[in-house]
Amino acid sequence: MADALTRSMRASHVLAAVLVVAALIFAAVGAAIDDTFYLRLGTEALIFAGLALSVDILLGYTGLLSLGQALYFGLGAYLSALVLMVTPSFWAAMGATLIAAIVVGAIGGFIANRVRGVYFALITFGMAQIVAKIVYNTRALGASDGLIGVPVINVNFGIASISSASPVGFFLFTLAFIVVLYALAAYLLDTPFGRLLIALKANERRVPFLGYSTVTPRLTAYVIAAVIAALSGALYPMLRGFVSPELLFFSTSGNAVITLVTGGVGTLVGALYGGILLTVLKSVVGSYTEHHLIVIGLLFMGAVIFLPRGLMGIVRPAVERWLGGKVVP
Amino acid sequence: MSAPVLEVRELSVHFGGLRAVDNVSFAIARNRITTVIGPNGAGKSTLFNLISGAVRPRAGQVLIDGVDMTGQPPHRLQAAGLARSFQITNLFFELSVAENLRLAAQILEPNRMAWRPVGASRRAHARVDELLARFGLADKAAYPVGKLSHGEQRRLEVAVALACQPKVLLLDEPTQGMSHGDTEDTAKLIKSLADDVTVLLIEHDIGLVMSLSDQVIVMHQGQKLAEGTPAEVRSNPAVQAAYFGHA
Amino acid sequence: MMTAALEYFQFVLAPQMLIGLVLGVAVILVALGLTIIFGLLDVINMSHGEFYALGAFIALALASIGLPFWLLLLLVLLMMLPVGYIVERGLIQRVFHSGERHVTTLLLTFGLGLVMEDAFRLAFGPNPHKPATPIAGAIDVFGVFLPLYRLFLIAGGAVIVALVALVVYRTRLGAMVRAAAFDRHMAASLGVPVQHVYAGAFAFGVALAGLAGVLLAPIYSVFPTMGRDFILMAFTVVIVGGMGSIAGVIVAGLLLTQVQAISSLYISPVWSDPIVFGIMVIMLMVRPQGLFGRLGHG
Repeated sequence: MADALTRSMRASHVLAAVLVVAALIFAAVGAAIDDTFYLRLGTEALIFAGLALSVDILLGYTGLLSLGQALYFGLGAYLSALVLMVTPSFWAAMGATLIAAIVVGAIGGFIANRVRGVYFALITFGMAQIVAKIVYNTRALGASDGLIGVPVINVNFGIASISSASPVGFFLFTLAFIVVLYALAAYLLDTPFGRLLIALKANERRVPFLGYSTVTPRLTAYVIAAVIAALSGALYPMLRGFVSPELLFFSTSGNAVITLVTGGVGTLVGALYGGILLTVLKSVVGSYTEHHLIVIGLLFMGAVIFLPRGLMGIVRPAVERWLGGKVVP
Repeated sequence: MSAPVLEVRELSVHFGGLRAVDNVSFAIARNRITTVIGPNGAGKSTLFNLISGAVRPRAGQVLIDGVDMTGQPPHRLQAAGLARSFQITNLFFELSVAENLRLAAQILEPNRMAWRPVGASRRAHARVDELLARFGLADKAAYPVGKLSHGEQRRLEVAVALACQPKVLLLDEPTQGMSHGDTEDTAKLIKSLADDVTVLLIEHDIGLVMSLSDQVIVMHQGQKLAEGTPAEVRSNPAVQAAYFGHA
Repeated sequence: MMTAALEYFQFVLAPQMLIGLVLGVAVILVALGLTIIFGLLDVINMSHGEFYALGAFIALALASIGLPFWLLLLLVLLMMLPVGYIVERGLIQRVFHSGERHVTTLLLTFGLGLVMEDAFRLAFGPNPHKPATPIAGAIDVFGVFLPLYRLFLIAGGAVIVALVALVVYRTRLGAMVRAAAFDRHMAASLGVPVQHVYAGAFAFGVALAGLAGVLLAPIYSVFPTMGRDFILMAFTVVIVGGMGSIAGVIVAGLLLTQVQAISSLYISPVWSDPIVFGIMVIMLMVRPQGLFGRLGHG
C-alpha cells in the first residue's frame, strides 16, 4: 500500500532513471568521438547537482532555506584536495570528508537551528561568508589562488579501477556516485524520519504534540545535507585537479538554489535536472556573451514567479498519473 | 486508591499583569469525562496549554499518573501519555488525512522503525485504518486535509489526538463550528472513547456538557470557581452569577 | 601619561572613530531602507545591496556628463523612487500572496540582485571607478585631522536619518505607514491606500540605499560587487537592532561600525567580518527580535 508521498517518490525514481539513461547515451557518444571537454563539463554538472540535492533536503522537505551550503561543498573540496595531495587515495579523501562533514555540520546545525525561516537563511548565508573570507585570506590554503596540483587518482574497487583522468570513466563514476547519494536521500525521505521532516515543513507547531522534539530531526536533516554537499564537493578536485575559494562563495550557494528552484523543489530529481539544465544554459549563453548571469537571473526570476514548482513540478505529476496514481480532488 | 491519571496543583501563569490561570487545582480519575466550562477569557485554553506543555507555568504542578511533569516540553508530555486537540484546527493541511493519522500513530512503533520504509510500520497503519473507520473518514483517507469540510476537520483533530493511544485526552472545543448533526455524532464518539481514555474537554455547548460529563469544572477569570457533577454545578449560585451576573 | 593617552586619542583613536562614523551613517541609511521594507512589507530584499550600488552607478553616469555633485544627489533620489515603485508593483506583488512569501520574495530579490550586478558589469565593466571627492580639504580640530567630506557625510547622513524618523513618527504619512504595517486590512478599511503605501515604502527604502551609494562612492569606489560586500553588515545591523525598528537600526548601526573600526586597530581586518557576523549569530540565538521592538509583524 503506497500512499501519495511514496508514489511521488516513485515518479521521481522513474525520472531519475530516464536521466541516467540519457547520461549513459551522452557518455557513449562522448567516448565515441573522443571528447574531453563536454564529458568533463557533464561531470561537473553532476557534482554541482549533488550540492543542489543537499539544498533540496533542507528546503524541499524540511522547509529550511539554506543560503550557505557552499560551506560544506567547499569543505569537502578543500579537504579532499589536501588529503589527495598527501595520499592519492579516493577512500581516504571520502572518509575524511565524511567525518569532517558530520562534525562541522553538527556545529553549523547547532548554530543555525536555533532560528527558523528568514533568520535561518541569513545565518547560513553569514556562516558561509565567514568561512569563505577566512579561507580566502589563509596562505596555507592557497589564499585567493586556491590549491593546485591535486594528483590524478585511481578509484579502486578491488576488481576494477577508474582513473580520474579518464573523461568517460570519471563521468560514469560520478554519475553512479550522485545516483547513490540520490538513492540514499530518497530512501531516507520515505521513512517515518523523512515524513517527520515533511511534517516539520507542513506545520512545525504541531510536531511536538505528535511526540517528537523538533530539534533532533532538524539537526539530523541538516547534518545529512551537509554530508551530501561535502561528499559532492570532494569529487571536484578529483575532476579538476585544483580547488579555489570560489567554491565557498555565495555564488556557489546561490547557484545551487537557482538550480533547485528551476529544476523543482521537493522532488529530489529536480536537483539533478536543474543542474544539467543550468550547465547547458550557461554553456550556450556563455558562448554568446560573458554576461550569462543576466539571462540566468531573469530565467530564475521567471521561474519563481510563473513556475514556482519548477520543471519537475509539472513533469512529475504527469509521471505519477501515468504510473496509475489515483486523481485526488 | 491509585494516583489520579491527571492532577493539577495550584497551577498559575501570568501574562504581563494578567493572571490567566490563578491557583487552579483538581484531580481527574481514570476513564471519566471531565468538562471545563467558563465564560470567554476564563483561562480554559491557557489551562490546556499549561497541562500540555505549550506554556510554562509560573507556579504549581502538573502530574500524570503521579509523576511530576511540570514544565516539560510537549513531546515529553506526549510520551507520558497525554494528547491534545486544538480549538483552531492545527493539522497538516497539505498532507492527506491518512498521513496526518499515521504521523500521530507512528509513536506506537519502536524507534528503529523510523529508519525503515514507511510501509513497514504495520502497527501504525493498522491504527490509522482503525481510526479512519471509527471516525467515518475512510473514504476521504487520501484527501488533503485542506479539502475536508469544517466538521470533518474537527473530527480529524480528535482522531489525530487519539492516534497515539494516550492515557489522557485533552479536547479543546472539539465541536467548535460544527453543525447540530455533526455535534451529536461527535458527542457519541467522545462518550465511546471513555472506555479506553480519560477525557478532559473544553466545551461551550451546555447541553453537550450536561449529557456527556461525569464531572464539570467551572473556571472564571483564571480561577476554579466550582467543581462537581453537572447537576451540582448547574445549581451552584456562584456559577449562575458568573454566567448570568457579571459575565 | 596624560599626553600619551591624549596623543593616542588624537592620532589613532579619533580618526578611526571618524571612519567608523562615516561607515556607520552609510550603513544606517542602507539598513534603514532594509528594515522599513521588512517591517512594512515583510519582504527580505536580497537585492538591497545592488540598489545601493545602483545609486552609485547612476551618479557615476550622470557625473560623466558633467553634472555637479549636489544635483547628483537629488537626481539619484528622484530616479530611484520610481524604479523601486515599479519593482515592488511589478515583481514583488506577483509573489506576495503565495503561501511561502518569505522564501519566494527572498529568492525573487536574490535573482534580481544577480541580474542587477551583472548589468552593472555589462554597462560599466568589472573594474572599480573612483569619483573625485566633492569637498576637498580638511580641518584641524584639537589636533585631530578631519576631512571635510567625511564631516559632511556624517552631518548630512544624520540629517536624512532624522528626517526619516520625523516623517515616520510625526507626520500623517508616517502614521498611515505605521498603520499599514501593523494591520493591513484595518488600515485598508480606514481608507489607507495600502498598495501604494507598500510600493512607496519599498521605493523609499531602496532610494535611501542608493543615496548611501552616492555618498560613499568617493570613499569606497564604485564596482559591480560593492553591494554584496556591504549587505552582510546591513543585515546584521537590522537583525541586531530589530527587524522593523528604526531606533534599533540607528543604535545598532553606530555600535557595530564603531566596534569594527576600533577593533581593526588591533585585529587584522580579515576578522572584522567574522566578528560582525558573530554578533549577529549571538543576537539571533539569544534575542532573535533584536535590541528593540518591531514596526510591524515579522
